[in-house]
Amino acid sequence: MATSSHQYDAIVIGGGHNGLVNAAYLARAGKKVLVLERRHVLGGAACTEEIIPGFKFSVCSYVVSLLRPEIIRDLDLPRHGLEILPLDGTFTPMPSGDYLWRVNDHGKTIRELRRHSRVDAEAYEEFGKAMLQMCRFVKPILAMVPPDPTTLNPKDLFKLLFLGRRFQDLSREDRYNQVQLMTMSAIDFLDQWFETDVLKATMSASGIIGTFLGVRSPGTAYVLLHHYMGEIDGAFRAWGFARGGTGAISNAIADAARELGVEIKPKTAVAQILVRDGRAVGVATASGEEYRAPIVCSSVDPNLTFLKMLEPQHLSDDFRGEVKRYKYRGSSGKLNLALDGLPNFTCLPGEGHHLRGAISISPSVDYMERAYDDAKYGDYSRRPYIDIVIPSLTDPSVAPPGKHVMSCFVQYAPYKLKNGTWDEKREAFGDNVIDTIAEYAPNLKNIIVGRQVVTPLDLEREWGLTEGNIFQGELSLEQLFFLRPVPGWARYKTPVKNLWMCGSATHPGGGIMGAPGRLAALEILKHARAS
Amino acid sequence: MPEARDVIIIGAGHNGLITAFYLAKAGFKPLVLERRPVVGGCAITEEFHPGFRGSRLAHNTGPIRSDIVADMELSRHGLKAYTPTVRVLSLAPGGNLLLYGDQVRSQQEIARLSTKDAEQYGEFQQALTRIADVASLLMNIAPPDIDEPGANNLWELLNTGRKIRGLGERDLYRVLRWAPMAVADLAAEWFETELVRGTIAAQGIFGTFLGPWSAGSGAVLLLRAASDSNLAGAASYVVGGTGALTAAMAAAAQAAGAEIRTACEVSRIAVNNDAATGVVMANGEEIRGRAIISNADPRRTLLGLVEAQHLQPSFLQKLQHYRGNGTVAKVNLALSGLPAFNGIEGDVTARLSGKIQVSPEIDYLERAFDASKYGEFSQRPYLEVTIPTLWDNSLAPAGKHVMSIYMQYAPYRLRNADWNARREALGNTVVDTLAEYAPNLPSLIEAREVITPQDLEETYGLTGGHIFHGELALDQLFTMRPLLDCAQYRTPVRNLYLCGSGTHPGTGLNGMSGANAAREILKALRK
Repeated sequence: MATSSHQYDAIVIGGGHNGLVNAAYLARAGKKVLVLERRHVLGGAACTEEIIPGFKFSVCSYVVSLLRPEIIRDLDLPRHGLEILPLDGTFTPMPSGDYLWRVNDHGKTIRELRRHSRVDAEAYEEFGKAMLQMCRFVKPILAMVPPDPTTLNPKDLFKLLFLGRRFQDLSREDRYNQVQLMTMSAIDFLDQWFETDVLKATMSASGIIGTFLGVRSPGTAYVLLHHYMGEIDGAFRAWGFARGGTGAISNAIADAARELGVEIKPKTAVAQILVRDGRAVGVATASGEEYRAPIVCSSVDPNLTFLKMLEPQHLSDDFRGEVKRYKYRGSSGKLNLALDGLPNFTCLPGEGHHLRGAISISPSVDYMERAYDDAKYGDYSRRPYIDIVIPSLTDPSVAPPGKHVMSCFVQYAPYKLKNGTWDEKREAFGDNVIDTIAEYAPNLKNIIVGRQVVTPLDLEREWGLTEGNIFQGELSLEQLFFLRPVPGWARYKTPVKNLWMCGSATHPGGGIMGAPGRLAALEILKHARAS
Repeated sequence: MPEARDVIIIGAGHNGLITAFYLAKAGFKPLVLERRPVVGGCAITEEFHPGFRGSRLAHNTGPIRSDIVADMELSRHGLKAYTPTVRVLSLAPGGNLLLYGDQVRSQQEIARLSTKDAEQYGEFQQALTRIADVASLLMNIAPPDIDEPGANNLWELLNTGRKIRGLGERDLYRVLRWAPMAVADLAAEWFETELVRGTIAAQGIFGTFLGPWSAGSGAVLLLRAASDSNLAGAASYVVGGTGALTAAMAAAAQAAGAEIRTACEVSRIAVNNDAATGVVMANGEEIRGRAIISNADPRRTLLGLVEAQHLQPSFLQKLQHYRGNGTVAKVNLALSGLPAFNGIEGDVTARLSGKIQVSPEIDYLERAFDASKYGEFSQRPYLEVTIPTLWDNSLAPAGKHVMSIYMQYAPYRLRNADWNARREALGNTVVDTLAEYAPNLPSLIEAREVITPQDLEETYGLTGGHIFHGELALDQLFTMRPLLDCAQYRTPVRNLYLCGSGTHPGTGLNGMSGANAAREILKALRK
């Protein structure tokens, strides 16, 4: 029997960054909120863990840029320990012995581009301006609860009209770009601007992250924009590290939430959402405890929320069908390395500034596309796209003195393998990543003192991300905006009264953005006031 | 004094002829100028080997929208359409699949593979039919102008919008989901059998630079369904080949008052003060006109026939980026007899009368696509075959047959090779692929004609060899076909219009672009 100490105003399932943001906003409005987290650390996929003594890995998510400025402000996150350190530039080594190195210093980047192509150097400036316009156009959509295009509700129509109007107000050129960004492939889009293959390959990479799409697949231009939209201190397209790893972001949000009165229980797995008379009334944990609240908000994905935590009779077959159709298809893995030195790239030897930014293994468009081809037929890429960062160069607190932490994001690693299991292939997958990087930095193999391989299966088992999708569901066009996660249920509400969603599976989607958590909280509060 | 006409239409493809007909019917005197010695564009019947004739390029129609057929009285002008009861014979190593025009019969055939899929087929077919009915309304209107939507536009849109809403929430969300989806995903949502999935998915990739896993191939399936909502796609043929269709159209246009001149190549569109004033022929002769309408593709029209100084650089740049590199090749075979297909017994003629498709599984199609991404043609291609001589004995000597084959993917640009050097290799690949299902085929071949994307460009004037005058991608459809700036059949050059497949809705032989263009141009001419 539930005791009175188990009674809350709201219960949030999952202590990932969205769950914590959601809890903090609810508490800010005076609600007594409980957050239940299955793991021993908070943050979900935004966590820092000391897997090897002395080395702190941002185990999953590793850079930040999308975190909404209003959340940083509202929750006063810097006071709670959030500090973002800049990630300077992207370095792409090439098999030819050359490289492409773009940095935040605009003049330097243009000079570097000119080395590859004069035309591209010119186009790069124009491109930057155009993307900025597009980001300005899309930004309000990120802060908007998606309208329902099928009703005649004046509010929804107004929202659609607002979008239409904004679109009409764009200049001819910008409208054109906008339409293309929403529908084209990253490569088709970039082809219109640039001729340098390695530049297009590296830029297109942000169009495929977390999707099961190749750089030539339509729809990837949008993901490109999604990643472009990052904003740190008002500067678009700025990426950074959190001091102490991405877990420090979650910890800062948790700290802010606790200060607002939120109670957070780690190591408490929710097994079931309790429903009475068609309304969510609380949750039962795996250990048999019950917690009650008139609001239950789930930050875990729709598969866990609707198919695992709810008994089938509470949902219509149609809705369950839609939830089952929602696509996850994780496509990426992670390799975290503890190093006792720094990698030495053949094309630009030494411990220069180029190691402080992102190091992108994306030497050509065909390379990227072939990496995808392997995955389509159920194998991990023989030569994958790898996004490498060495946060210990910028933030020495994450490794022992003189040692380093290297984080490698690897795509493609399809959740479903045609031959064998991820448990069998884990180490071979890790070796393959190291072999790939060693083609550009041969000393790598000699400086590794420890490693952690994270496969899509691990993301599912350990972090509860179905099929290992880092965004809780693919960012493909048919799963965005008013279609995310399920058509007709894109507004954080669910068919079960008082049960809400607030994770990355809701608009506007993944990345350490916090927008779903915040928007859901605002919707819940609006609904609570109205009833 | 140069000759003066009210309306000049460049190109006598099916859309050009339809536009000519409607303008003539409205009292104008259109002059149609065709570069080749025959009318028809890509819908032509020609002898490709002594005694063997056939639809040299397009062999299947969309079909042509019924009101166009009625308006033009095409039957009276000699059109004999043929729709076989079998829509598709889909070949697979482990056993074939037959799909019929009749849904129940198709379901019975699918039930042999999976009863679940048979059931799903019914539901999918019905949803698609409802959606296609509404989608076809969208095909019939001119896309609204985003800059200045006119009252007419808005009324049309509102009307269509009302009907779209009438679909109900469930189907409406289906359209919104399906269009941007990969057709492989769509097929997998409904079916568990690979052969069924591959057969249906082929509808979403034909003629495009998309594989079944490419997002947006769902839209292509919907677009084609708007002409014929059968999940197996259209199998609408013409007795005498598709050339007989365009011959009937030409007769109808002439009867209505249009004049058609063949072997008349337009080399330039004359422009004065940003307005088109006429055309200049290859022989230097000039013909003046109030309105110039081009049935040629957008790039050929605006980059080839209009001098660059008449267009804004930004417009030119966009048009240069208009994607239209083709992926389809055509192979015509003259056969000494009917090939024997594995597993085809009983009423062989009926079973072979529809489309014969090689699309046994999704991965097969995707691998075929992969090759084209790297500038090679598919080693095991997607094929769509028809043997018109089974129901039309006018095309070949008695007992002999014509086999007409669409082959995909054959990328316009080959890496490290020229199409003239690879032509026969492509022909061999096609024959080898088919021979896996019809082993005696090679021994029956009397002659073989291979038409590559390069031929489509050089001989038939399709820029990039694209059979639909430009890629059917989400960013090149509806208000964006061919470009966001000129999707109302107008161009930035006053009095110059487009009426070909590069305008909304494009896709295949359905005549909608030509009919829509005529309506819009008439409005402008009457102002």
